Amino acid sequence: MLDEAPKILVSVRGLKMHFAIHKGLLRRQVGTVKAVDDVSFDIYEGETLGLVGESGCGKSTAGRSILRLYDPTDGVVELEGQDIVPVTGERLRDLRPAMQMIFQDPQACLNPRMTVGSIIAEPLDEHLKLSRTERRNRVNELMDAVGLNRDFANRYPHEFSGGQRQRIGIARALALNPKFIVCDEPIAALDVSIQAQVVNLLEDLQRKFGLTYLFISHDLSMVRHLATRVAVMYLGKIVELAPRDALYSAPMHPYTQALLSAVPDPDPNAAERKERIILEGDVPSPANPPEGCNFCTRCAQVMDICRKIEPEWRDHGNGHYAACHRLGEA
Amino acid sequence: MRVKHLLSGACAAAMLAGAAYAERGADGQLNIIYWQAPSTMNPYLSGGTKEVEAASMVVEPLASYDENGNIVPRLVDELPTVDNGGVSADLKSIIWVLKEGILWSDGSPLTAADAVFTWEYCTHPEGGCAQSSYFDGVTSVEAVDDRTIKINFADPKPYPYTALVGAESPIIQKAQFQDCMGAKAPECTDQNFGPIGTGPFVVTEFKANDVISLEANSNYRDANKPAFGSVLFKGGGDAAAAARSVLETSEFDYAWNLQIEPEVLTQMEAQGKGKVVVSFQTSVERLHLNQTNPDPSLGDMRAVYAEGENAHPFLTDPAVGKAMSMAIDRDILVEAGYGKTGQVTCNVLPAPEIYASTANDACKTQDIEGAKAVLDAAGWVPGSDGVREKDGVRLSVLYQTSTNSVRQGTQALVKQMWAEIGIEAELRNIDASVFFGGDPSSPDTFQKFYADVEMYTNNFSGADPEAYMANWRCSEIPTPDTQWQGSNIQRFCNPAYDALVDEMSQTADLNERGRLAKEMNDMLMESYSIIPLVHRGGTSAHANSLGGVKMTDWDSELWNIADWHRIK
Amino acid sequence: MLNYTIRRLMFAIPTLFVISFIIFAILDLSPGDPTGNLPLTIPPDVREKIRESLGLGQPFPIRYLKWCQQFFVNEPLNLIENWTGWTIGDGERLRVTSWSTRSPVVDLIAERMPQTLWVVGMSYVVAILIAIPIGVISAYRQYSLFDQIGTFVSMVGFSVPTFFTGLILIVVFSVNLGWLPSVYDTTHKVTDWSSFWVQVRQMAMPTMVLALATTAQLSRFMRASMLDNLNQDYVRTARAKGLRERSVVLIHVLRNSMIPVVTVIALGVPAIFGGAIITEQIFKVNGLGALLIIGIQGADIPLVQTLTFLFAVLIVFFNLIADLLYGILDPRIRYD
Ligand SMILES: Nc1ncnc2c1ncn2[C@@H]1O[C@H](COP(=O)(O)OP(=O)(O)O)[C@@H](O)[C@H]1O
Ligand SMILES: [Mg+2]
Repeated sequence: MLDEAPKILVSVRGLKMHFAIHKGLLRRQVGTVKAVDDVSFDIYEGETLGLVGESGCGKSTAGRSILRLYDPTDGVVELEGQDIVPVTGERLRDLRPAMQMIFQDPQACLNPRMTVGSIIAEPLDEHLKLSRTERRNRVNELMDAVGLNRDFANRYPHEFSGGQRQRIGIARALALNPKFIVCDEPIAALDVSIQAQVVNLLEDLQRKFGLTYLFISHDLSMVRHLATRVAVMYLGKIVELAPRDALYSAPMHPYTQALLSAVPDPDPNAAERKERIILEGDVPSPANPPEGCNFCTRCAQVMDICRKIEPEWRDHGNGHYAACHRLGEA
Repeated sequence: MRVKHLLSGACAAAMLAGAAYAERGADGQLNIIYWQAPSTMNPYLSGGTKEVEAASMVVEPLASYDENGNIVPRLVDELPTVDNGGVSADLKSIIWVLKEGILWSDGSPLTAADAVFTWEYCTHPEGGCAQSSYFDGVTSVEAVDDRTIKINFADPKPYPYTALVGAESPIIQKAQFQDCMGAKAPECTDQNFGPIGTGPFVVTEFKANDVISLEANSNYRDANKPAFGSVLFKGGGDAAAAARSVLETSEFDYAWNLQIEPEVLTQMEAQGKGKVVVSFQTSVERLHLNQTNPDPSLGDMRAVYAEGENAHPFLTDPAVGKAMSMAIDRDILVEAGYGKTGQVTCNVLPAPEIYASTANDACKTQDIEGAKAVLDAAGWVPGSDGVREKDGVRLSVLYQTSTNSVRQGTQALVKQMWAEIGIEAELRNIDASVFFGGDPSSPDTFQKFYADVEMYTNNFSGADPEAYMANWRCSEIPTPDTQWQGSNIQRFCNPAYDALVDEMSQTADLNERGRLAKEMNDMLMESYSIIPLVHRGGTSAHANSLGGVKMTDWDSELWNIADWHRIK
Repeated sequence: MLNYTIRRLMFAIPTLFVISFIIFAILDLSPGDPTGNLPLTIPPDVREKIRESLGLGQPFPIRYLKWCQQFFVNEPLNLIENWTGWTIGDGERLRVTSWSTRSPVVDLIAERMPQTLWVVGMSYVVAILIAIPIGVISAYRQYSLFDQIGTFVSMVGFSVPTFFTGLILIVVFSVNLGWLPSVYDTTHKVTDWSSFWVQVRQMAMPTMVLALATTAQLSRFMRASMLDNLNQDYVRTARAKGLRERSVVLIHVLRNSMIPVVTVIALGVPAIFGGAIITEQIFKVNGLGALLIIGIQGADIPLVQTLTFLFAVLIVFFNLIADLLYGILDPRIRYD
């Protein structure tokens, strides 16, 4: 795929999403949470970009900002060459069909007072002018596509199991034929037995409809299975981005190394060889990140410079990017 | 009030001639507010002041009391007396002759049969008539002819103006109430809420405990009265709000019973929209000094009178009571709690004038030194803590009253004054509904008197003190045998006093009755079992534009509402 | 749902009987004497006669059973007779009779229902109409100036008692400005526009005083419920669907936030019938609250017993309504 000089579908440059913190009686702003702080990467058409990192590192925020579910603080997000950050209101609504999201909690993301049919049909009503039958047909089509029984259209979300609910969420996301879907930990809340079904469904759909995924997860093995390329996030920043195999076989950033060392390797020999790196301490608060490299407080290979200067985001060849002072030195 | 202005404009021309030539109903609507709303229009079923007064606009007695406590004929032309032959020489009967041509509001004539019926109605044993004491001693009421009513008494009745006199015992219509006798009385809701009367107004709508709408009685005996065509008689709220609605917002013309802080009332009156009117009848705020021993350790014998046994350890000593009375500065009590609605008094019977003694007036000025001297002379000497004692008995009293801000203020002041002469007081207040509730199982009623001193107000209705003074006969002492009922609360007992009571019940001559009443009053005062504090008046307010109000506390305040009119 | 409703209703019957008995027993045990408020000039033997005529001489169980018969049998029969015009039996039945007015308690209640519903009920409606938008906007613009002011106002509404706000309003609008009447005229009848205007003016102050207190509570509740929902994923889903912000807030968020609010509103309805004791007193509305307090002060046991029991019935009933509403509004709740 990489050889064909693939087309860039989404291009993110210098994306920042800072949330204001209010405190006190008068709720004055006392600071900001830098949930996403200067992130840049591209997503190619038809690929699955995995986005991994510990919980709280800003993955969901990044995904939502890219889809303009937030108003980013700064940066550029181009969808098919158009910067969508400054777009608002009606024009943003017009862009919505092209980009969709699948959420982590399939229960919470469905309005409990709407039937499955109306949940799926709502975007159709909002963006297309369909007759009643056309609409019903489309809903049925979508339900078929995600493997839901058509007869369940009049039921409420709570009547379904977790896996079925996630299928509803997927059907809903597919309703308007999107090009780009952000999957925000779509399987994290599901039973292990069902996870595979949903992942397979996502893969099938990608093939069938030519979808592009940003697949957010903290589950490195699932990402390895799905993704073409993987980005690793830590405390609001992407620390490493590489094609899947390169990343898993030769991780560059100490954080990525630490993450991977924690993953049980299916190959027992490899597992023996591997030395586990244990991350010490807690993730610093994104409201008050450390000076220099964000990872310096927990890095096993920390140097003086790491505490002062932020490492640069650099290409290390073959589409392998990382930001670490150690790499510069080597 | 919009209605008022409209009417005053429309009628201005017609009214130029002045009130004297006013036509019935020409002055529009009269708005009255009683902050306690009447619950019925039948005074025989309630007995509450508010019901009696509301009913007084509709049903009338044979005679009323004016603003000075004088009896005035109402449904009769002339007051029967021994001199004019209306009262028999043996004082055992009285004959009232109705005015000619008086009609009920339904157009039928008022007859002596109605008076007879009223007596039967109120004395029916199952009726629970609240005013039956007005018919005490009446053996029969006869209709001699259509207009002549003869009331017979069992014993000579020197003051025969009780039955069917005063707002509490008006005549009700036989035709309307004849099916409402005895146990049926409460079932006659329509009758009780809308009695047919001879008075100036007729009920058009009665909402219990809320509002009464009345209109002028088209059959009223004086063709030009009442000047008002309708009355809105509103109840509810509190005294301050009622005062405000007359004195500040002018929404109402007349407000009743304004027992509020004297300064507040003065301030409201200063706005110049209305006047506060006060009338003094016989209400006296007084202290009762328990003559029996209320010591809790006595168990069943607590505060029980036992022929002089079980006497109070020190309150039976008149020297103590006298000192307590002398130590009180009544002027301060009046100023602090009553303002213009109170007067200093030294008598438990302060009025009418012919009955009011002057023998005790020394109490009007405080005399701390004198009080100390009295106690010293009686052998009560200050102990180590300043409280006087004698033979191990300390002058320390439990002083109780009902819960009420003025009363608690008075308590605190009196406690201070007594402290100055070495008498210690512990204060206590009890919710009025319990204190006056009369529940024989409650230890906190004023009749049980499980305290040394208690304070409240009492009075009598009408202008004759005979029954009132009989309250302090030995036989009236509340005891467990009487279910703690009885009016001689302080347990005063003196055969000489009882003799005076008997004598008064045989005496018809007014001056002689006056002498007897004063003598009884003085006897009570000198026993120091009652210490009078304040002679309390009734307080009401009326708009400046309301004329004809003759505020009285002797009868219904609305007794002459037929004469009320709008001042232009 | 139907089964559930029937089961709940059947369970309510014994509950209410127990409640009625407890009320009766408490009232019987509490001190107080219906003749206690009479002037002291009425002698004790007359008082005793009055008490006897009220049936107070009878033992407790007899009085309770009598009340039960009057309330559960005679009053309903009487109602049926009034509605249909039939005469059942000889038509002579003892009704629950108030001691102070000697008139049927149910008639007294019916007489006062209109002003209570007008004033207290209207205040509830006004409060709901004000509170919901305030709650929605406060939550949507959390910590904005609007929200801050809303918080302050509801704090005032919560903490300042109605007798104080009532008095302030009277002093300002009746005494100083003379715009509004301070005394509610219960005899006023609305027949045309001008009399309707008079009615509006006399209702204005008591309604507002009560509405302030209720608004304070409801708007806080609405705000909290909105905030709960605004951060839910389904709201993000709705936005991702490309819905207009109005539809997101008003259809998705508001509808879900209303579920708990509606039940709170339903649970508050019995309080309307309970009247507003203090506010009714201040403005002399003389509704059910005033009736109850007069009954208590005058130890009018049949009146207090009947009123309290009716409140108990309403509370039980509206609890059921609230539960059913919850079930209807929230598809996740199922009763069977
Ligand atoms: N709306 C918000 N307001 C303030 N802080 C937020 C908000 N959303 C997320 N955050 C903070 O941003 C950081 C990243 O959150 P998130 O993107 O949800 O992490 P992840 O999805 O990687 O677990 C967290 O510290 C979180 O507390
Ligand atoms: Mg997340």
